[in-house]
Amino acid sequence: INSRNWQEVSSLLFFSPFKTRPVFPGYEDEEAEEHVLVDNKCKCARVTSKFVPSKDNPQEEVLVRNIRVIVPLLSRKNISDPTSPVRTTFVYRLSELCKKCDPTEVELGDRVVTAEQSNNCSSSDTCYTYDRNKCYTTTFPFFYGGKINTVQAALTPESCYAD
Amino acid sequence: MWLFTDFRRLGNQAFERKMTFLVFIFLLSFLQAESARVSSSSPIFGPRQVTGLLGGSVTVKCFYPRTSVNRHDRKYWCKESTRQCVTVISSSGYTAQDFAGRATITDFPEQGIFTIEISKLVEKDIGFYKCGIGLVNRGLSFRVKLDVSKGPNVPEEAELYYIELGGSVTINCAFSTEYGSERKYMCKMGKIGCSNVIDTYGNVNENYKGRVLLSPQELAGSFSLYITQMRKEDSGVYLCGVGAYGEKGESKELDVHVYQETSVPQGPHVINGVIGGSVSVECHYDPRGNYTIKYWCKWRKNGCNQLITNLASMIDSYEGRIVLHDNPENGTFTVIMNQLTAGDAGYYWCMTDGDMERKSTKELKIIDGQPGLTGPKKIDAVIGTQVTISCSYPCKYYSYQKYWCKWRNTGCQTLISSEQNQTGLVVNCDKEKRTLYLTFDQVIQTDQGWYWCGVSHSGHYGETMAVFLTVNGDAISPNAKSEDAAISNTGSENSNDPQNRGGVIDNNSLPSSEEHDSSKVILSVLLPIAAVCLLLATVFVVVKFRLLKRTDLVSVGSYRTNISLSEFENSRDYGAKDNVGIHGAQETQLGGVDEFITTPGNAEGAEEPPKVKRVRTARIYNPRCCMQPSLSFRQ
Repeated sequence: INSRNWQEVSSLLFFSPFKTRPVFPGYEDEEAEEHVLVDNKCKCARVTSKFVPSKDNPQEEVLVRNIRVIVPLLSRKNISDPTSPVRTTFVYRLSELCKKCDPTEVELGDRVVTAEQSNNCSSSDTCYTYDRNKCYTTTFPFFYGGKINTVQAALTPESCYAD
Repeated sequence: MWLFTDFRRLGNQAFERKMTFLVFIFLLSFLQAESARVSSSSPIFGPRQVTGLLGGSVTVKCFYPRTSVNRHDRKYWCKESTRQCVTVISSSGYTAQDFAGRATITDFPEQGIFTIEISKLVEKDIGFYKCGIGLVNRGLSFRVKLDVSKGPNVPEEAELYYIELGGSVTINCAFSTEYGSERKYMCKMGKIGCSNVIDTYGNVNENYKGRVLLSPQELAGSFSLYITQMRKEDSGVYLCGVGAYGEKGESKELDVHVYQETSVPQGPHVINGVIGGSVSVECHYDPRGNYTIKYWCKWRKNGCNQLITNLASMIDSYEGRIVLHDNPENGTFTVIMNQLTAGDAGYYWCMTDGDMERKSTKELKIIDGQPGLTGPKKIDAVIGTQVTISCSYPCKYYSYQKYWCKWRNTGCQTLISSEQNQTGLVVNCDKEKRTLYLTFDQVIQTDQGWYWCGVSHSGHYGETMAVFLTVNGDAISPNAKSEDAAISNTGSENSNDPQNRGGVIDNNSLPSSEEHDSSKVILSVLLPIAAVCLLLATVFVVVKFRLLKRTDLVSVGSYRTNISLSEFENSRDYGAKDNVGIHGAQETQLGGVDEFITTPGNAEGAEEPPKVKRVRTARIYNPRCCMQPSLSFRQ
């Protein structure tokens, strides 16, 4: 997959009228920060939010959310199997993207335990793209010396160094 | 409020065209937001601007997180044009024709840095470039403005600091000695000037309280700055200087970037302790680092007061109530403090001597409550008697491992349990009463000292309680009497009662009433007793001498030479351990990028489990985000 086959659906804006906050002129020391709500590397989707001055009332700020989805158009249905057909359906359910399934440290009494922050973290989610920090391999038949051997090969060689 | 976009079954090309159009529209409308975001979210970092002289050269240093894939992936330097970023040079061997012979790229994977050098600069080179990892246009890049100046001077570049989220930074600021007595400061550039972070007048910004230090260096005018527990919002341009910003003195620009790559466990930043209780803190460091010193210090506005180091040095006032357990194999050291007082509240730092190393800040708060472990805190014993020290624990520690250890400045050595009892020390756990006893069959002078009763859970140290055992020399202790006392004492194992503090021992001093009975008895008994005493004393001295020879228990007076020798041995042991850990973790650099490495593992082609990695939600402003029904694309 080279970069031309990636398309970016970017900056889909949601204006939320629910949350506003007043602006104090001259008091803003920091730049308007953007907060990452979701960064799903598996689906290549990211949801961020930030406050921007309202168009209707410049004295107020409104919350803007950006959803960025990068669609890997030439990825396979099963990313670990290069012989599987090209994926044609990409489904992005925000409710699933927003789940916080990565384990975080939680303090319980005087002990620290790691826990997922969501209830239903079943691990049957399909990935549309490779995780850079993971090594993906596949096997293929290799004909050599009159024999067919099954050989394992790295799909993402730069992620597969054992060090 | 939801969005549903349906891409009907279009040909691949038509689809792409439509998408490109969409992207174009979006990019046009929100170009500003987009560019700001990309630069802030990429973990790659470098100089915002570099300037070189016409005909001269520039060197660009780009930082990246030292993950395995980043170290082995392709590095590139590309020039932005209207449509895309055109590769100038890449680590896989490509060089664009324009730059042939005058551009080099060098990777330093162990440091997470790669540098690009461009020489024989011409005016045509002016423009925006990107240094990055992987394939061009994948977002893992940093935008750099290259300027070519006719000279004679080029503007001084900001010093770059690249720090992992939660990590720490050491910044050295050197100014000429004439500023020795001037105010020294560090401030962060914002929209309305430079807001103070810390200065030598004792002002510390609330956002940085407890995690910033300014310490003067030997040379007047020079100073060091330490910031720990770096946050995402700490990224930005800082100034360190002498005098006052914008008024007088000099200043230096620092560009700090906080990146997030892997989540290194850090444990809680706030630790709660109760008066008289104990806290244990785990500090993490890189097990591959070659650190000779690890220490724990208490933060003050003008420095960090070193309390204990792994080399067994500590402040006298902390004797008996602080311990540092180092575990070089997994890169942690645990500090345990007990007998807490209200004065112990404050900020503490875990430190190592490495500059790159993360220093972490822990805030100790003293809260209301009772310590979990209870028992007598002071015990007086007479030489040769049996002594039992008790330590009661609450139900919550039932499943924990409990131990007794003898405190020493090199650590707390766990005493052997009852099964392996050979030296007359017994540690056993009365599960009914939830009390752990430490029993000495015959206490000797060298047993005097601090004893800690503690709990641990799967390798992590928990609460502790300290007891001080005083051994008084009392030679008159007939054999029979002392045995009687020991038995009666084990019968009433009720050491929690303050009346019975010190257990057995009081019974040992002979009841004085007996002595009034008759002088005849005394006379007839006196001689045998004296003989027995003499014998006992000889035996005692011999036993003690032999004990001293093979143990290194803390002693008093004339045995001082012995003690220091054993300390020396212990610290050498620690050092040796460090080295073992380091050798095991040495890394080998692998060859070219194109090398295929096959790894054993399942390749059944199963669908990958979800990886919601590195999602950082600093603040969720609107929880309704997750209530969007669905967003789906179909091709």
